[in-house]
Amino acid sequence: MSDIATVAAATERRFRMPRFLSSEHPFPWLLPLISMLIVFGIYPLLYAFWMSLHQRNRIKRVDEFVWFKNWGTAFGDDRVWNAFQVTMTYTLSALVIQLALGLAIAMLLDSDRKGYGILRGLMTLPLVVPPAVAGMMFLLMEDGSFGVLSHYLYAFGLLSPERPILATGSTALMGVLLADIWQWTPFMVLIMLAGLRALPKEPFEAAAIDGANSWQMFRRLTLPMLSKVIAVAVLIRGVDLFRIFDYVYVMTSGGPGTVTETMSAYAGRIFMTGNFPYAATLALLTLLIIFVVANIFIQVFKVRF
Amino acid sequence: MEPSHASRTLRDIVAVLVVAIFMFPILWWGLNSIKPYSAIFDKDGPVYLDFEPTLDNYRVTMMGVSRVELAIQDGGGTYGAGGASSYDSRQTILDSIIVSVGSTIISVFLATLAAYALSRMAMRGKQHFIFWVLSQRFMPPIAIVIPLLFMFRDMGLRDTHFGLILAHVLINLPLAVLLLKSFFDDVPKDVDEAAMIDGATRWQSFRRVVLPMVRGGVAATAVLCFIFSWTEFMLSLYLTTSIRTLPVKITTFVTSTGTEWGFITALGTTAILPAFVFILLVQRHLVRGLTLGSLKE
Repeated sequence: MSDIATVAAATERRFRMPRFLSSEHPFPWLLPLISMLIVFGIYPLLYAFWMSLHQRNRIKRVDEFVWFKNWGTAFGDDRVWNAFQVTMTYTLSALVIQLALGLAIAMLLDSDRKGYGILRGLMTLPLVVPPAVAGMMFLLMEDGSFGVLSHYLYAFGLLSPERPILATGSTALMGVLLADIWQWTPFMVLIMLAGLRALPKEPFEAAAIDGANSWQMFRRLTLPMLSKVIAVAVLIRGVDLFRIFDYVYVMTSGGPGTVTETMSAYAGRIFMTGNFPYAATLALLTLLIIFVVANIFIQVFKVRF
Repeated sequence: MEPSHASRTLRDIVAVLVVAIFMFPILWWGLNSIKPYSAIFDKDGPVYLDFEPTLDNYRVTMMGVSRVELAIQDGGGTYGAGGASSYDSRQTILDSIIVSVGSTIISVFLATLAAYALSRMAMRGKQHFIFWVLSQRFMPPIAIVIPLLFMFRDMGLRDTHFGLILAHVLINLPLAVLLLKSFFDDVPKDVDEAAMIDGATRWQSFRRVVLPMVRGGVAATAVLCFIFSWTEFMLSLYLTTSIRTLPVKITTFVTSTGTEWGFITALGTTAILPAFVFILLVQRHLVRGLTLGSLKE
């Protein structure tokens, strides 16, 4: 054996690191991510849970351990049930409207003709407007006295100036929904367009030869072939809708009364009053609902990442 | 069956109309930012083009001109409705840039390493790990705000750029990891196997061979992380008080004495424009980004 090889072998022996620390093992690659997620993801959640088991004693000025009292309070709190209903109404109506509009607009814009590329590009712009700003945009347009949208709603007799859209109980949630629909329908359009563009041509040609009309083709071919795409879109959008906060905070702060108060908005409001244990309970409750429903959805529709 | 000329034209008109409706709120917003005070609050009906364009709102938010100075220039009238709040937003823009850039760099760094391993290496429970990363995306920000507030107080990170950066990293990580994994998945495994047969270590084949091949993907991920950090609202609202990012600052212009729509729209336009430029850069990867890598265009 040559000298160089001996030296190299000796060096290697002296400096050999444990296998799980070498770059051949996934551990060092994942370590930074894992530590970040544990310190700022897992630990805060455990901390929040620990907080939710306490209650502030104002007289003694200490947090007392009260087991699941806050959780019990939450289940008996009418405002929590109201917030849950508002959030569900908001989530489901936004999902249905955005899916339907998104699919329709995607089919409209799915063309190779000149100019359609620009239209598709423009459609993506609402997505990057900060949601708080998007909320403000609609607050400006829906203002009771000088809002441009209100002006035309009054002009067409759909609303009256005495009942401004965001200050009236029956229409306020619709007013907030408008901002959401404006901002996130393009998300659906984009995803549906990607799905439509990936569809094979042959089945449609075959169906046309067999004399199928366009509704039958849409119902029997397009929709089923888009099902995977739709599942992903519903999952991502559904999660975001259920934790909705920005539009509500900016446009109505949950009012009038509590008709637009979503789970996150209610938790935020409790948080601002300084009752941190109860706010933590509500936040965790929201997380729990999202986690369970999203998990079931992923299993049932076999969404893969 | 070729569609007729008439039906084609009809489709063109409808398509343009629909896109125009979606563009209207943005245009209306931008238009209001250059309107004088009186044209914004006209109760007789919306003012479209019948006004003298002015940059006064931008001078207040971007150049530090005070509202009082403008009122004096105007000839002693009152300018705006709000009280004595500060509308000078130069520090806000700087804060926003620091937080977005900082969180983007950290997210992309952590995510690139992890995504490579998740894409390339065999490990037990990989799907569970990926799902754990994904589940961070399900978290309502309020659930993390409350404990982070106390943690940051104990760690001395309260009201610091770094604290907010870490919070933004946390919400961007699922996107960054899963998106980058999908870009690494696009590179055939033979590539790094060939490099390793030639004697390269894992690290070398990552650094010298695979990483250069996904450069575009890393850039797209960085841009999306930047946009999401730039537009984030709730964490910035509750975690910091002296540091104000743009979306939060804008909402402070809604005062008890009145809403400063002129300044709001001016600062809002300033917040939107960089995002528009960035989104054009990543058009090609947008669908993949928005679906965390699960759908490809």
